[in-house]
Formats: sequence, structure tokens, C-alpha cells
Amino acid sequence: MKSRPLLLAAVGLAALAGFPFVVANPYYIHLAQTIAIYAILLFGLDIVVGYTGQVSLGHAGLFGIGAYTAGVLFMKFSAPLLVTLLAGVVVTAGFGALLALPALRVTGPYLAMVTLAFGTIIQILINEMTDLTNGAMGITLQRPRLLGATLDERGFYFVICFLLVAALVVVHRILRSHLGRAFEALRGSPVASDCMGVSVYRYKVYAFVISAGLAGLAGSLYAYSEKYISPNTWNFELTVLLLLAIIMGGRKTRSGALLGAAIIVILPKLLDDLELFRYVSVTLAVVVVAGAAVLVARGRSTVARSAIPVIGSVTLAVLSFVLTSMTDWRLSIFGLITLLVVYYLQDGIVGYVRQSLGWRGHGADDAAQAATLAAPASAVSTSTAAGTGELVAADQVLMQFGGLKALNEVTLHVARGTIHGLIGPNGSGKSTMMNVLTGIYVPTAGAIAFKGQSIVGRTSARIALAGIARTFQNVQLFGEMTALQNVLVGLHHSYRSNLLDVALHLPRFRREEREAAARAYALLKFVGLESLAGEEARNLPYGKQRLLEIARALALNPELLLLDEPAAGLTAPDIKELVVIIRKIREHGITLILIEHHMDVVMSVCDVVTVLDFGQKIAEGTPAAVQSDPQVIKAYLGSEAH
Amino acid sequence: MEILTQLIFSGIALGMIYAVIAFGYQLTFATSDTLNFGQGDALMLGALVGLTLVGMGVNYWLMIPIVCVFGAIQGAVVERIGVRPAIRIKSEFGWIMSTIALGIIFKNVAENVWGHDDLKFPSPLPESPIRLLGANVLPMEILVVVGAVAMMAAVELFNRKTIWGKAVVATFNDREAARLMGINTGLVITFSYALSSMSAALAGVMIAPLTLTGATMGAVLGLKAFAVAIIGGLTSGMGIIVGGIILGIAEKLTGFYLSTGYQDVPGLVLLLIVLAVRPAGLFGKTAIKKV
Repeated sequence: MKSRPLLLAAVGLAALAGFPFVVANPYYIHLAQTIAIYAILLFGLDIVVGYTGQVSLGHAGLFGIGAYTAGVLFMKFSAPLLVTLLAGVVVTAGFGALLALPALRVTGPYLAMVTLAFGTIIQILINEMTDLTNGAMGITLQRPRLLGATLDERGFYFVICFLLVAALVVVHRILRSHLGRAFEALRGSPVASDCMGVSVYRYKVYAFVISAGLAGLAGSLYAYSEKYISPNTWNFELTVLLLLAIIMGGRKTRSGALLGAAIIVILPKLLDDLELFRYVSVTLAVVVVAGAAVLVARGRSTVARSAIPVIGSVTLAVLSFVLTSMTDWRLSIFGLITLLVVYYLQDGIVGYVRQSLGWRGHGADDAAQAATLAAPASAVSTSTAAGTGELVAADQVLMQFGGLKALNEVTLHVARGTIHGLIGPNGSGKSTMMNVLTGIYVPTAGAIAFKGQSIVGRTSARIALAGIARTFQNVQLFGEMTALQNVLVGLHHSYRSNLLDVALHLPRFRREEREAAARAYALLKFVGLESLAGEEARNLPYGKQRLLEIARALALNPELLLLDEPAAGLTAPDIKELVVIIRKIREHGITLILIEHHMDVVMSVCDVVTVLDFGQKIAEGTPAAVQSDPQVIKAYLGSEAH
Repeated sequence: MEILTQLIFSGIALGMIYAVIAFGYQLTFATSDTLNFGQGDALMLGALVGLTLVGMGVNYWLMIPIVCVFGAIQGAVVERIGVRPAIRIKSEFGWIMSTIALGIIFKNVAENVWGHDDLKFPSPLPESPIRLLGANVLPMEILVVVGAVAMMAAVELFNRKTIWGKAVVATFNDREAARLMGINTGLVITFSYALSSMSAALAGVMIAPLTLTGATMGAVLGLKAFAVAIIGGLTSGMGIIVGGIILGIAEKLTGFYLSTGYQDVPGLVLLLIVLAVRPAGLFGKTAIKKV
């Protein structure tokens, strides 16, 4: 199992080390340098784009900051290589934190535009701050010195390769650790991340800072490699090119970033050579036409659907013979490639190859390995503070949205160790109550105490860490992550390892990772999902997804567990199983609040039931008492017809 | 004082251009939650097509409707090629990449057709300024303000008074419900893109006589118009006019008192600040997040 990656790594390292001896031409060594530099940059960009799922159009700007940090330090102070590289990383990481600030408030197209604005400002500043940056004149650098010797093209190549390998290992380890899972969780469901104690704020900033640091490293290396930097390099086209490289190579893989870097460096050179380009475009057109023909013949695609790639690639081939110079049309060709990649190669080249070869992701391997670990003593934590006191005391809670009172001075007291039912017709405020208890909404008025302490105004992440876990009415799983990884996100709080532990795989991190994997597997077993541990959450059937949410919530070691319609969409035998699970959870001393429309479930497991209607509490008591309450009957069935 | 008044006047004219482009962003965002990252290039294409038409001897006023038709077709093409497939495959940022890619293609084509140099667009109105409140105002600047307001008013009227407009408004409010009521929401989205690019093209031919025309004129205008759309709020019609005017004046003042090199900065900084402090914009409503 382990031998394949090790072998690949050995071959890769040997190729890297041997390259400048096999190819002595400095032009090609410089090309290889450039590819390696872009690869470092793309590792970082992939953290933001691939893992946290944010579109950043500001990375060309960050790249430029790194380059100019090195350039300015060199020009003004003749600073040595190590200092400029380090400064490039630190300064750019600082700008990354700055860029993360708006990213905390907005996502999607807004973020894309904000980062674009950021990149544009950086370019303007580099151009205008002539005192510092030499403006449009640019900065010329000399070959760097290291250990008393001036590095030639080959020497600097080795410096870059060393940093490339270091960046690869560190980034890979970060992304496979709890930090990487936190990044991915942000993308899957920000709300659920917060409710698992993984602060969306904090990890978005981390992602941007790490990503920017790598961009800074790449930028300062680029300055030395090119020996001349000017403001116009860090423009919009570069940013788009970087995104294209990530998507085309393959998101969420290091090999994809390497491949993407090679493509965007080599492709422009290819376009300069018309003869070569004609061969390539004709080959591409033949491959696409043949591929489309096969797909249509097998009935896996329709003529209409495959028309666009066929027309696109044939047009490209024809164009290559019509045009006498490709250089002027370089950007149009990049645009066309981008369109084709976005629509037909969404998972990138690496993703496509993996899919067609049927390679499993590392998630499935990890799950298989977790099964072999020694199971922990008990999967579900036991709430130690036994007793009968009040766990939750919500008093006179008012939640107002404009003129609508979703909760109108509701008082809810939950005794420790009980199962507290919360029922009511649709729109009565049950889910709002959940959201208020978990900090997603801040109540307009009223007090909420958990274990005697007020939680009003605390963030969802802090409330979750204090011991309140929940599931969601509309399932909020981290879709692209496996079942095991979903539960591991819930176990995020159990990690004490810092970045250094992760990067160097120090014993503390290895132990924590092992313990968490064993615990997560045991939790999956608890809800009966151990056989699906390596399956992506989005591929699970609906009922299993609900159970997975419960396992993930239990990973928080909660004292209070909020279940929002856990039985919705479950079949009758599944519901029976669910009732057994709910009872078992209670046996561990965990208090539950249960929102449910299946009255038989509510009546059979709940100790106390509270009934809401139009945001007001209309009844509370034992299930039997509530069931016969005339007001409750009226709320559900309407007033008696007379 | 005279200079200040003059700067404010030209700032208002510039601001109205931003407002028209931002209006285009609002149209498509309302119907489909997407927007055209190549909006600036739509403007550029409109201006260049207009320039060619004028060069062929077509009267400026006659040219405007032709450019509008061209803009509408261009917008529809962007929607069909760039946005619709992305929405269908539920790709998260596919439409961002594809509209950017289309924008790059349009720009590159324009460079190859019209060249890299900025061209002078002949002004349809006298170029001698008239005196207004002690400042010099170009007649073209007044035309820009009038044209921008007329354009936005026309679309508003269309939305409020006609049955097709009501279909558009219904799609704004609830796409699913509108679809269930038998409205062809796909067509409405295409239509909103056509309208959006049309307003950008119109903005292009209106601003071209005041500045220069060239393949690169669109990018920064598009970005700053987005800043205006955000500052004003993506849902507020009044917001973009106020936001546009604020930004236009801020830029003219920066350009005059600081340096023309910095004149693009205030808009972008304002964008970052507004998004960091109040993402819904100055006039927009904060949406309640549903879980």
C-alpha cells in the first residue's frame, strides 16, 4: 500500500536532481525554475480555492508583494537571500491576513470581486509608490549569494527545488491533518463547521495566511529567477491563469498543482511556435472528436451535449492554420481553454485520470486503516457531572425578524439527563429555538444559561466547545469528505498539535491523529455506519446522512445534544434503530432536546414535552398530559367545527 | 471653488456611468444570483462598435439603438455560453471563470480588430463647455446624466407596467415559484443578461466621447461599477445612483488633488471597507440566514 507513493517520490526526486545535468541549456533550467516557482504558488492557491472553496483573484497581487519585498530589500539594503526569502513570506502572509478580513464577511462572487480589487490596488501601488518600488522602471536583481558563493542558474535551481519539495511536504501534511479537514469543512458547510467548534473565522484567516505565505515565497524566488521585476507582471491575466492552472491540473491534489504549473509555463512557449501548435491542436481535435463519438455511440452523451467541445477544438485546429501568428491571439486561446476546462474537465486532469483509472482517494484508505486501530474504551463520551440540576435555562427568549416574532418570550428549562421533546406545527419556532441555543441567531431579548453560564452573544463555535452539539433539519454534512472525515471534524477539539507538530509529524500529532481516527471509527460503529466509513458523505442515502450527523455531533463530547427532526425521511425499521440510539445516548448521561414530527417517537422516548405554536409556548408536561391538552389538539387540528 | 464645482460635475457624470453599469449587475444578480465578470468588456465592445458605425458615416443618434441591439445580443451570448451551462452543472464558481474567460476573449478579439491604441470618439455635441453655476460643463456630460437616468427609468417602467416586466420581477422575487407559475425563467435570465449588456454598451457609447476608446477601457470601469453596486447594495436602485455619484466625485477629487495614478484607488478601498463593515451595502437589506 505504502510502496507506490514512496517509489513515486524517489523517482520524482531523482528526476528533479538529475534534470540540470541531463539538460545543460540554461534556458530550459530557467523554465524548470519557473515551473517550480508557480507550483509553490499553486500549492498555496489550492488551499484557498480547492479546500476552502473561495475564489481568489488576488493571488497575482500576493505573488507581486512577495517579489517586491525581495526586490526592494535587495535594492535598498543588498539583503542576503535568506533574509529576503523569509521577509517575502512574512510580509505577504501579513497581506494575506488583510485580504482575509473582507473574506470573513463575504463569499462567492463578492469575494472574487473583492480579491480582484485587492490585486488591482496592489498593482496600482507598486506602480505609483516610486520611492519604494522604482515604479514603472522596475527593479533589477543580481544573482543571489548563498554560503559565500554566487549561485549560478543550476545552483539556484537546486535552491528552488529544495523549497519546492519542502513546500510540497508541509502543505500535504497540513492538508491531510485536522487543519486541512477544517478548511474542507468550511467549504462543505460553514454553519456546521461553526457548530462543530471549528471557527469559520479563524480557519479562513489561517487558510489565507498560509496561502499568502506560499505566494510570498514563490514571489521572492521569482524575483531572483527573473532578475528583473516590473509592475505589469502581476495583472488580471496572471490571476486568471493561476486559477486556470488549479482547475485544469486538478483541485485538491499536489500533483494537479505541479501539472497546472507546467501547463501554464509551457503553453505560452508552445503558442510562440506555430508549427508545434498546429500539431498539438490537430491532435487535440482528433482526440476530442473521437472521444465524443465513442461517448455518443455508447449512449453516455448526446450529440447536442458533445457539440460544443467538438466545435471548439475543431475551430482551434482550423484557426491554427488560418492565423499566421498565434501570439496576438494568445489570450483568446487561454479563454477558450478556460471555458472548455470549466465545463468538461471540472475535476482537472488529475481528477479525470483518477476517475477513469478508478483510483480511490486517500479518504478511503484512511477509513480502511482506521478500522484496524484498537477501539477506544467507549465511543460516546459520558457526561461526568451527573445529577438532576437544570442544564439549560432559557428565560423569556424573544427572537424577532423585522416585525415577525419567531419566538415570543419562550421559557424553556431542560433538566440534566432527560430527553426533552420540542414539538409544534410547522413555523412554530422550533428550529429557531435550536438556532438561538447554538448561537446562530442572537436573541433580541431574554436570557439563556447553559450549566449556569450565560451563552447569549457567544459565537457558535464557542458554544459548541462548551458542550452543545446539534444536528440539522436540512442535513449539513461536509459533502466531499468521507463519513470518517466528517466525524473527525467533530473531533477537531481533541487536537492540541500546532503547525510545527503537523509539518514535522511530531509524536504528539501522530498520537492524536491515531486516537482521533480510532474514536471516529468507533462513533461510526455506534450509529451503525462503520461499513460506509470511506464513502463520501454526499453519496450516502438520506437516512444514513442523518445518522452520520448524530455521530459527528457526538464527537464533540457534548453534554447537550439537539436533534432537529432526526427521523424525517427514515423508514420504519430505521426509526426503530434511531430510538435505540437515542436511548443509548441518554444512558451516557447526555441530555437531549428532540424536535420531531413523528409523534410515536416523541411519545415513546421523551420525559418532558414542550409545545410551541406561533412562537409561543402553549403547553409543557409529560407526553401523556401534553397529548390530551385541548390547546395542543387545537393547534394541530384546528378548533372543533361547530 | 470653481475647480471644485467643476470636479463635482464631472464626478457626477462619471458616477452615472458607473450607476448604469452597476444597474446591469443588479439585473442579472436578481434573476440568477450570477453576474457578468466581463461587464466592462461589454461596455468596451459597445463603444468600439459604436465608433466603427460612426466612422462608417452613421449618425450618432441613429447608432445608439444599433449598439443597444448589439449589446443585447452579446449579453444573450454570454448567458448561453457562459452562465447557463454552469448553472446546470451546479458548478460553484464555473460561471465566474467562464464569464471572465469570455471577457478575456472579447478583449483579445477587440485588440486584434481595433488595435492596441486608444482611439478618439467624435463627440456628437459641441465640445465647447457651457457655464453652469460658475463652472465649465461639457454638453456631453449633461447628456450622460440624462441618458443614464432615462435608461434606468425605461427598464423600471418596463418592469412595472408590462406583463413581460412582471415576469422578470416575479423571477427576481422567487425563481422557483415563478417557474411553477409557468414563467420561462431560463428565458428571463437570458433576457436579464441581454438587458444588462445592453446598458453596458449604452454606457460605453455615452462615455466614449468623454474619454478615449480602446480594448482596455472596460476592465477597470467594470470593477469600479461592481464597487458601486456593492456600496449601494445589490438590491437598491437608489443605492447605485448615490454610490455612483459618491465614487465618481471621490475619484475626480483624488485625481486632481493627489495624482491621476491613484484615482482608481478610492473606489476599490471603499469597496473593501463596505464589504468588511456592511456587506449588504449602504442601502441594501441584510438577509436572514436560514439553517
